[in-house]
Amino acid sequence: MSTVPTEELDAFRARAREWLAAVGPPEVPLDLDARFAVLRRWQRTLFDAGWLGLSWSKEAGGQALTHAHQLVFVEELVRARAPQPIGLIGLEVVGPSIDRYGTDEQRRDLLPRMLSGADIWCQGFSEPEAGSDLASLRTRAVLHGDHYVVTGQKIWTSWAHEAQWCALLVRTDPSVRKQAGISYLLVDMSSPGITTRPIRQMTGDREFCEVFLDDVRVPRSNLLGRENEGWAITSHTLGSERSGATLRRRVELEVALEDALGQLRSGGIDDDRVRAAVGRSHIAMRVLDAQTRRTTDRLAADTGPTPVDSVDKLVLNEAEQTVLAEIAGLLGPLRAVPGARPLGLRSDRWAHEHLYSRAASIYGGSAQVQRTIVAERLLGLPRG
Amino acid sequence: MADHDEYGAAVDDYLGRSYAERRHELLERGGWDPALASEFADLGWYSLAVPEEQGGLGVPLAALGPVFLQYGRHLVRGPMLEHSALPALVPGLAPATGARPPALVDPGVTDLWADDLGTITRRGPRLDGTVEAVRFAAQADRLVVVAGAAVCLVDPATRGVSIEPLAGADPGVEFARVEFDDVEAGTVLQDEDMVVRLRSWARLLLACELSGLARGSVERTVEHVARREQFGRPIGSFQAVKHLVADMHTRSTALENLCLAALGDADTAPPTELDLLACTAKAHASDVAVRVCEDAIQLHGGMGFTTESDVSWFYRRALALRGWYGDPTELQVRLGATLLDRIEEHA
Ligand SMILES: Cc1cc2nc3c(=O)[nH]c(=O)nc-3n(C[C@H](O)[C@H](O)[C@H](O)COP(=O)(O)OP(=O)(O)OC[C@H]3O[C@@H](n4cnc5c(N)ncnc54)[C@H](O)[C@@H]3O)c2cc1C
Repeated sequence: MSTVPTEELDAFRARAREWLAAVGPPEVPLDLDARFAVLRRWQRTLFDAGWLGLSWSKEAGGQALTHAHQLVFVEELVRARAPQPIGLIGLEVVGPSIDRYGTDEQRRDLLPRMLSGADIWCQGFSEPEAGSDLASLRTRAVLHGDHYVVTGQKIWTSWAHEAQWCALLVRTDPSVRKQAGISYLLVDMSSPGITTRPIRQMTGDREFCEVFLDDVRVPRSNLLGRENEGWAITSHTLGSERSGATLRRRVELEVALEDALGQLRSGGIDDDRVRAAVGRSHIAMRVLDAQTRRTTDRLAADTGPTPVDSVDKLVLNEAEQTVLAEIAGLLGPLRAVPGARPLGLRSDRWAHEHLYSRAASIYGGSAQVQRTIVAERLLGLPRG
Repeated sequence: MADHDEYGAAVDDYLGRSYAERRHELLERGGWDPALASEFADLGWYSLAVPEEQGGLGVPLAALGPVFLQYGRHLVRGPMLEHSALPALVPGLAPATGARPPALVDPGVTDLWADDLGTITRRGPRLDGTVEAVRFAAQADRLVVVAGAAVCLVDPATRGVSIEPLAGADPGVEFARVEFDDVEAGTVLQDEDMVVRLRSWARLLLACELSGLARGSVERTVEHVARREQFGRPIGSFQAVKHLVADMHTRSTALENLCLAALGDADTAPPTELDLLACTAKAHASDVAVRVCEDAIQLHGGMGFTTESDVSWFYRRALALRGWYGDPTELQVRLGATLLDRIEEHA
């Protein structure tokens, strides 16, 4: 893959910055339903101005630019304190796999609507009995003529209650090795037989759901890739999820730390404990930044998923959890009072962000799963 | 940074061939060995970053980073920092012609323990004061003295200079106490930026050395756990062991990347930025190297506790370097103070 000339990226960055300043990012309400509506409109605004799907093909509704452009835009978006569009699971996680493995019709019919936010997507991978051991999933799909009939249950499916579409992993052949019998279906969430039940997270949000599938009919043409070859696409999806999240989270955390510093300065405290916490957060961010420079190189070189991604994931988890724990640690007893401003810090925001950081080492492959990959596939230790 | 890797690779190659089997014997004898120092001088290792006008290769200081990583990884002892960085940083300090290094007499090695380390005061060209621990002062042929915002060059034979060798516990370094009693400074360079540069490059290169110590411990540990068997299988097949090794590798890799990124930015950074980069790298390196070495000892079992295993040497070396030019907590506080004082740059 060719590298983009610096001048071109600089000009692109200047355009993005100017546009963001002119359009003015929306205020994000705390209430989840209101938040959803605002962020969906925001996605439409971004799409209409040509800022989404930057690295996707034109047929997919994208701009046919590069990952480097995508990264620059994410940076500018976060720097402008603008929110992310609501459809991130489509944009960062599922979309790239449909663009890569989909038929022309699938790409043409699904991707532009995904980009514009007309369709919100969810990712139906995890099940009650299949978490880290995702390949043991049990949701069944049986072909009847030109339809699959799907029965089973998914869980932790983010935004399923708001989604129009779902990337659903199903078992199509129970008789073979577990990875070899999985297929990847694109499912219309308005199909009869689908029920979603939101689950409340410890942050207070109802962001993820249980999804029940009861004899749901899915047209055969909604199979992504080939039957029983869904596992490779799954790896691709999880790979996009990881690299997209790493690059975006780095900028988000950088800006979060800047905001916290600003609040601490306005609080005017003068104490070694505060300084040390700031110092540790700064160090964690520099470590993450140095690590993501490597990620960006690999992304530009299009190496595809490697065990080195697991090192990135572990470094990201540690940075995210360190920075947010250090900041939240400065709330002291007033953590429990959301309206308070201890040492100048906004108690509600940092308590929420800190709680959310605990999920980082669970989703996208838990920290333990990543450590096993590093030990066995990168360092060659014997499988146990 | 890729263009600088060649120096690290050359040093790695030489040390792998001709240092490995001498290592323990050399370490047992302490930090100073004139023959070894001459050997490295002859190889040209000290003059890499020295300007060409002074007979060096004139490569950027950042190129020393990968080299110091190898010094750590191979547990090289001796005044590598003094020999390779000081002549590159201090104008008028010619590179050594023999084995004897310059020494850096700097009371600014620490903040919290400043009272324990001593002070140097300067009135005009005259120096007074004491520094309780100076690396390689008793072997030095020139003293580079930091006095406030000035850097002075002093011949150790000058009247009023007394240098008293100390028993040391760093396996790679010799220490001495240095006292100045109304000493005439040879050359006085009034340059506050140079003081920042001296300390920052010391921090950056020590961070690289610590990073090498961590890498060396990881490598030994991976070999060991793959070979050592208990309960009828390699201990590296137990998940508790695997996950510890994976964390060691991840931390050590992230530290290397941090050091390389800092070096890449350092050559062109203005003094305040350089100070931030260097304090960040040194703080993290000290923290990670010590933790990784502790895990390495743990996974070596009883063998790890002996002087026969490399991991015990890596650990003692990491502990000795941890507090030199700032331990993690000191530097975290310092970084925090700088960042909190800063006026917001981004609107
Ligand atoms: C905020 C959030 C959003 C999510 N969104 C989605 C989504 O949109 N779509 C979706 O499909 N999923 C989603 N998930 C689910 C997520 O992918 C799973 O939680 C994850 O894969 C772990 O599975 P589990 O929860 O069943 O935990 P388990 O697999 O039961 O793991 C529990 C603990 O056991 C450890 N463990 C498990 N196996 C091993 C092993 N072999 N060796 C060592 N330790 C092991 C794990 O590391 C973990 O610490 C989300 C999760 C969270 C927290």
